[in-house]
Amino acid sequence: MPKAILHIDGDAFFASCEQSRRPELAGKPVVTGKERGIASSMSYEAKARGVTRGMPYFEIKKVCPEAIFLPSDYETYSLLSKRLYAIVRRYTNVVEEYGIDECFADITGLRRTHKMGYIQIAKKIKRELDAELGFTFSVGLAPSKVLAKIGSKWKKPSGLTTITTRDRWLFLDKYPVEKVWGIGPQTTAYLAKQKIFTAGDFARANEWWIKNNLTKPFWEIWQELNGASVLPLATEEKSSYYSIQKFKTFTPPATDPEFIFSQLSKNIENACIKLRRHKLMAKDAFIILRTQDFHDRGAEIQFAKSTSRPDEVITACREVFSKLLRPNQQYRATGIVLTGLTSAVLQPDLFTSMAQVQKMVRLYEGVDEISAKYGKHTVFLGSSFKAQQFGAHQGERGDAPERAKNFLFGETGRQHIDIPMLLAGV
Amino acid sequence: MPAKYLQHFVKFYKAHKRLPTYRELMQAAKLKSTNAVHKIVAKLAEEGYLSRDASGKIAPGRRFLQLPLLGEVTAGFPSPAEEELVDTMSLEEYLINRKEATYLLKVQGDSMIDAGIMPGDILLVERGREAKENDIVVAEVDHQWTLKYFRRKGQQVTLVPANKKYKTIYPHEELKIAAIVVGAVRKYKN
Repeated sequence: MPKAILHIDGDAFFASCEQSRRPELAGKPVVTGKERGIASSMSYEAKARGVTRGMPYFEIKKVCPEAIFLPSDYETYSLLSKRLYAIVRRYTNVVEEYGIDECFADITGLRRTHKMGYIQIAKKIKRELDAELGFTFSVGLAPSKVLAKIGSKWKKPSGLTTITTRDRWLFLDKYPVEKVWGIGPQTTAYLAKQKIFTAGDFARANEWWIKNNLTKPFWEIWQELNGASVLPLATEEKSSYYSIQKFKTFTPPATDPEFIFSQLSKNIENACIKLRRHKLMAKDAFIILRTQDFHDRGAEIQFAKSTSRPDEVITACREVFSKLLRPNQQYRATGIVLTGLTSAVLQPDLFTSMAQVQKMVRLYEGVDEISAKYGKHTVFLGSSFKAQQFGAHQGERGDAPERAKNFLFGETGRQHIDIPMLLAGV
Repeated sequence: MPAKYLQHFVKFYKAHKRLPTYRELMQAAKLKSTNAVHKIVAKLAEEGYLSRDASGKIAPGRRFLQLPLLGEVTAGFPSPAEEELVDTMSLEEYLINRKEATYLLKVQGDSMIDAGIMPGDILLVERGREAKENDIVVAEVDHQWTLKYFRRKGQQVTLVPANKKYKTIYPHEELKIAAIVVGAVRKYKN
């Protein structure tokens, strides 16, 4: 029996979150990402004017002078994202939270439960999402994840597209192969040499040829395009990490080594907080310095032993940092990637006594408790001081989102009520 | 079904002062896979007994601590007070019907002052619900939102303020109702 998989995708999610809570923004070109200086999401009005994702501020001003540029309010977007999943879960518990603005849902076999057909279930979910979140979603209904994803992209905004195995060619023959979920530019170039240009060409290709000339993921895509569901929905919440990374841009760009290092130090502290939250330790790290003209320089570091302590990571990074840094060069961002993750166990070595190790563990448990009570970075390392002294962005880009500026009586700067707020004056 | 597993959580919580991991529950409840545990947790989370923290670990939900520790879970007889509390609800449950559709809105103006809605009040408003006679609604008029009583005479909808200083609005075109007011919160002291 064929499966019934839904892919549900928010239309211009961040920009729509903003438009739906401020009536004066409806119908206007709205762009989010002001704090980064580049467009992270654009309303359909802004897309129509030629604003694209990643476009820098000065260019947005050029192509669309009346664009309304807003700082991202990730707190509100995350709350609305949770609502998206919760509303879909009214109809099935097999939901994969694929991204902040999208999810997959398996509604196979639920026609009798809901006393309606698959298309009606899809329509009902879409209607509830549109009405309760105040902006539109696009939905694809198909026998596999890859086809469902084509369906949700087929008609945007606010589309509902059903693709069945029988009429899949109507869609696939018009769909460029590079837009298929999971097919990247490398593969696209290779496929072009084989005269495979559309998803239809790919799905019609000989299975034997696919298996022998491409890797397994592409054979899976081939099967999914032909209506066979082989990619299961990942319904488990994410608990294992291959790497933890923290990368942050700051403005204005800086040349002062101490300031740049303090930014890196703050990222390291953040990465270590995440390590400890997931009870992990890292063996290796990679640090990245990004110059004002977007050149990245990075270096690998191996720790003497696995650690989740920022002071140890910072000490290990300091030497590499000074080798990496070019004098008088302007830098705009720093980052750290921690890899070689293992679950945290105490490992005394020849040179440190167990008592000392336990003392440090207790110290960081204390730090984490203080953070839980008074907010992240209530206590931080001296090396992060310069970064903690100011926000990440000074001047106009330092503009905080509305929800972070105006809190309600009884709320604090760091804890807000977990219900999104409408921002109009009534 | 999942309700019968709740006792395992409660038992474990009493003994260890924390909730079990998936694996611990699997053993305690003699389940065959963590996937089965996952389903139970999802269901109990939906019902408000459990929640999951940022790292995906199981945490007590708002209803968990209200659970009466009855029967085999507690030694001896349950206290009558616990039984009386079975059918209680949290303030949040009292104020909110449809959680996913509810938003906060801070009042600025005084157009509904005679309805007891003061500037500074926090309203709980629900989206995607049809307005009924005399509901207090957030209506869209000229790309602005306004707070008024919703009234209908035949085909004509009117938006009526609760303040003599303001005039009743007779919308010409199709009226958009952004949300319906379902409750209000006013906090005086921390």
